Amino acid sequence: MAEKKSTTSHGLLAVFPDLEPAANAVEGLRALGVDDACMNVISGVPVTEAMLGRPPQHSNVPRVAMGGAILGFSAGSFLAFIAPFMYAYPIQVSTQAYVPWPPSFVLLFELTMLGMLLSTFLAVFLDSFFPNYRPMKYVPEISDGKIAIVVECEHVEEKKIMDTLKKFGAESVKPAEAKQL
Amino acid sequence: MAYGKKETENKPAVYEHHGHTEEHFREKHLMLDPLPRGQMNDMVMEAMTEKPSWKYWLTVFVLASIVAYCLVYSWIRLIAEGVGIAGVNRPSYWGIFLVNTVFWIGISHAGTFISAILRVFKAEFRRPFTRVAELMTTFGLVQAGFSIFMHMGRVWLAYWLMPYPNQRMLWPNFHSPLSWDLLAITTYLLSSTMYLFLPLIPDLAMARDKTTGWRKNFYRILALGFRGTEGEWTHLRNAMNIFAFAIIPVMFSVHTIVSWDFAAATRPGWNSTIFGPYFVIGALHSGMGAAVVVLAAVRKFVKNMDYFIRAEHFDAIGKLMLIISMGWAYFFFNDYMVQWYGGDKWTKQLLHFHEAGPLGWMWFAMLIVNIAIPWAILWNSKWRSTPWLVSTVGILINVGMWFERYIIIPISLTINRMPFTWRMYTPGIEIPLGIGTLTLFILLYVIFAKLIPMIPVWEVQEGQMAHQLKKFGRETVVTVSELE
Repeated sequence: MAEKKSTTSHGLLAVFPDLEPAANAVEGLRALGVDDACMNVISGVPVTEAMLGRPPQHSNVPRVAMGGAILGFSAGSFLAFIAPFMYAYPIQVSTQAYVPWPPSFVLLFELTMLGMLLSTFLAVFLDSFFPNYRPMKYVPEISDGKIAIVVECEHVEEKKIMDTLKKFGAESVKPAEAKQL
Repeated sequence: MAYGKKETENKPAVYEHHGHTEEHFREKHLMLDPLPRGQMNDMVMEAMTEKPSWKYWLTVFVLASIVAYCLVYSWIRLIAEGVGIAGVNRPSYWGIFLVNTVFWIGISHAGTFISAILRVFKAEFRRPFTRVAELMTTFGLVQAGFSIFMHMGRVWLAYWLMPYPNQRMLWPNFHSPLSWDLLAITTYLLSSTMYLFLPLIPDLAMARDKTTGWRKNFYRILALGFRGTEGEWTHLRNAMNIFAFAIIPVMFSVHTIVSWDFAAATRPGWNSTIFGPYFVIGALHSGMGAAVVVLAAVRKFVKNMDYFIRAEHFDAIGKLMLIISMGWAYFFFNDYMVQWYGGDKWTKQLLHFHEAGPLGWMWFAMLIVNIAIPWAILWNSKWRSTPWLVSTVGILINVGMWFERYIIIPISLTINRMPFTWRMYTPGIEIPLGIGTLTLFILLYVIFAKLIPMIPVWEVQEGQMAHQLKKFGRETVVTVSELE
């Protein structure tokens, strides 16, 4: 009977002093057979996927922003073109048309921008699952410039992952524990 | 023998241009003088968490007392006794309340200008002071909102401006400039507050990791569970890029719409097609002036800030102030020239009243402090890099811009096409209320300096990662890599 190997079902958290060793470790883990989806890099500055040699992250923010802009434009259209016909008494301003175009542009612009910016803000919350106050895998050293790699991989032996992380310069490698931030 | 030939022959042909050694660059540029991230965090946190001295509490007490009397008590009086105790009357129906509204919206423009425009153009010097500027936008707009509510008088009826369904179907006219104002200012206030909050999240997470007790709970709630994963940074970066691009036209629209409150009226002095850009450049002029004052105050009074905010930053803002001052002078002259040349009897009367009326000194003072003084001082790099001097220019510009708005609003309203109504405007309760808004603006900074990191440390570190010194032949130069 094959011996049961210890795997990182709960994950390992390795702390690196800098970007370079962290990027090398990502490469090393990939060579070991760890899939990119099983790794998560946590940092105190926005290091890009390209710097780490990681696949691009998917983000819904631009799409949600566009959706918000369309909603805002629709709200503006309602106020500019439909609301005037809902007034109990018609508001006729001087010789202007009942629904004048130039002021309508102002309404359309402001509400489109408001819709877009509000939805962009909301999209960050939705995509990042904010607010999230549950315990999470994290170490406070990340704020001080360290880079952490969390590896959660069930099909690769934990010891091999640990050795690879240490080989590429991890300052510490320990089981990733979810803690209250 | 040719001039200087002997010296050239005897000395090695290597020149240190302007003495630009590596040490010189480090002293001068924050981006080339990196400290470990932990140390920078500790410096920012120390400024926030250090036990405040008695001077701090005295300052808070004095400012809060002024706010309580000038803003709270005076506003209660205004509500209880009615707008009759304000100085507005025929023909100057708009007075200091609207002067202050325009003034504070102008102040708020610098935050977006510094943070969004400089971010879009990747101006690296912006990094340490974007937050100080963004706070100015939010705090300034709060004062603008208060001022317009004061002008409204029956402030409890402000909700009439909102499009809400009601039984009598009495909705505001959404094509009226009053509704544009509401929409534009609301859009700008909401967007600038969100734009302030997004880049603050990583710093709040840092503060959460560095504190204990009530502060830890406070920052834990505000940091929303941010850890700094790749996904979180990507979403944040995308959102900040969208905000940086989208908030610029919103900023322009706000002050343009404010200018249309005046320009859309067929009055002498107001009915001008140049008013939109003239107001926008005026807003930037006062906003940049205010930004440099706040920056000098933060550097002087908040601990460890002299590492982050250096002479180079005052130099850079000083250059912007000089360019904006020139732009303001151009638009002012453009506006003046066309009205003067038009030869309309009442417009000429008004222009003469501006210059030679009882408040003509204000018109001349405006030109001196908005044009002559900035041009005389800010051309010089050494003077521009001196915090007290450049912030004094900033204060004077703000005085000048307040005068400009006073001239445009109550003074211009004094002269109209019906001479029998001409009457000077004398402010009443507007004066304490105006002082109250200014004091509240300062008080908010004093309080928030102890509550949120005034320096976006992660942005500073990101900038320091991107900068390096490189040798081109014999010369050492600063190079920046584009990390995004």
